[in-house]
Amino acid sequence: MSNNSINILDIKNIEVMYDNVILALHDVSLKVPKGKVVALLGANGAGKSTTLKAVSTMLASERGKVTKGSIDYDGNSIEKQNPSQMVGLGMVQVLEGRRCFGHLTVEENIISGAYSRKLSKGDIDQELEKIYSYFLRLKERRKSQAAFTSGGEQQMIAVARAMMAKPKMLLLDEPTMGLAPQLVAEIFNIVKELNQKEGVSILLAEQNTNIALKNSDYGYIIETGKVMLEGTAESLLNNDKVKELYLGISKKGRKNFRDVLKEESLNKKIN
Amino acid sequence: MANELLFFMEVLVGGLLAGTMYSLVALGFVLIFKASATFNFSQGAMVFFSVLAFCGFMQDFNIPFVLAFILAAFLMVVVGLCTERLVLRPLMNASEDTVLMATIGLGYVLEGLAQAAWGVEVRRLDLGIGDFPVPWIADNLKLFISALDITAGLVAAIMIIGLFLLFKYTKIGLGLRAVADDAGAASSIGIPLKHIMLLVWSAAGVVALVAGMMWGARAGVQFALVDLALKALPVLIIGGFSSIPGAIIGGLIIGAVEKILEVYIGPFFGGAIEGWAPYVLAIFFLLYRPEGLFGEKIIRRV
Repeated sequence: MSNNSINILDIKNIEVMYDNVILALHDVSLKVPKGKVVALLGANGAGKSTTLKAVSTMLASERGKVTKGSIDYDGNSIEKQNPSQMVGLGMVQVLEGRRCFGHLTVEENIISGAYSRKLSKGDIDQELEKIYSYFLRLKERRKSQAAFTSGGEQQMIAVARAMMAKPKMLLLDEPTMGLAPQLVAEIFNIVKELNQKEGVSILLAEQNTNIALKNSDYGYIIETGKVMLEGTAESLLNNDKVKELYLGISKKGRKNFRDVLKEESLNKKIN
Repeated sequence: MANELLFFMEVLVGGLLAGTMYSLVALGFVLIFKASATFNFSQGAMVFFSVLAFCGFMQDFNIPFVLAFILAAFLMVVVGLCTERLVLRPLMNASEDTVLMATIGLGYVLEGLAQAAWGVEVRRLDLGIGDFPVPWIADNLKLFISALDITAGLVAAIMIIGLFLLFKYTKIGLGLRAVADDAGAASSIGIPLKHIMLLVWSAAGVVALVAGMMWGARAGVQFALVDLALKALPVLIIGGFSSIPGAIIGGLIIGAVEKILEVYIGPFFGGAIEGWAPYVLAIFFLLYRPEGLFGEKIIRRV
């Protein structure tokens, strides 16, 4: 079925539970328009990874379950799908922490991404060359064992591997975690390039609010399993509350969104 | 002096070749350990089940050797299929310990099924290869080496080369190595875990069949094969649970060491130390090199 709507991903009011008792997401709704980059921002434990795993249907392997709401990908519900079917439909997740296959070479890692596609040897080589044109650094290291590459290279391997599955949409879970600023910029440049040249829609979970928003079209901020704020990347970057809470431009100590909202409503009452 | 050296060589070569029989059994364990990080306690039962079925096909139905082998191998693929569908898939998100317990249960089911289908008496298996010294080698090299041992060595070598090629150069082999490294990441890029599980369980089944045929030809096809497979445990502790070369070399070491100890040190203990000497060796490995000779180094962050 073709999808004429402008959103490739449409999450409506989902609630997620782990082990039938732990409520990880209360109420998350978000949309990813086709061909756009959307950032999902929030602190540790806010529910970013859980949201991504709900979309890629990888929750089941962690005993998680979407208990309310709906997720539509490319116009169809993903309810009955499993992770390998989702990859077949063009939705690939790059897991948090890179998760390369350490004993495989860099090139074997990347080729493994094409597992779900039926490609001849020649096709694979052609695809590889295309992938290497984005990840020049990996081409030099193609014969090295992945476990012995640097953190930045491993992140590139993980993204390159996902690209090998020819995704329509990528879910990136904290791609810059633990990387030096220079590498963070390099990774984001590649992500942006993949988005523009390959037309891949991207949902990006990040803690690195500033650089994530600078490379996105739209952003959602979640806290304790709830969407607290959303808007275009530009509007979020210029939002005073976001500046104060997530960009570290503040006179006072750390607060979270709930405190700010509470303060605001108090102020309203006083006025 | 020359005679003593010759005798030592004979013990050593005999031991090494006998060790390949252990290697064959250990190979089955490694395959499954690689894919699911579980020690498959039913491997011994799979050896017994497969070779008993093979004997049954040959002796009860008069099916020729090659066809009986193909049928038995096919049966093991079916067993792999059922195991994946009925045992592994429902336990997909369960802990490794749960899967371990399930393999013990699976072992009992296979033992029971085998005996229900083919009877409980010991069967003789004649592969047409005698378990006696090869005259040509005895004449020319003055070594007394059993033809069955040599065959087992050759068969083990062929299987290892076959498995190596399968893992290194095929797509499904790449998938298997990916799953062995990180099953979660493998599933995130669309490698279907159930296909990989089916592959390893079938391969382990066929390896069990070959190992069973070798052991059955030597010791008779009987229930004791189940326990004999546990000899693979010290082999794996020495070689490393996740390494195919480790299984081979571990088997060779166990085979050689137990024969040498039996001949030279055995008399001081009143003989028959072959049965427990490998376990003593295994304990030393557990103390000083728990990952085995070729196992993946166990890295833990402190």
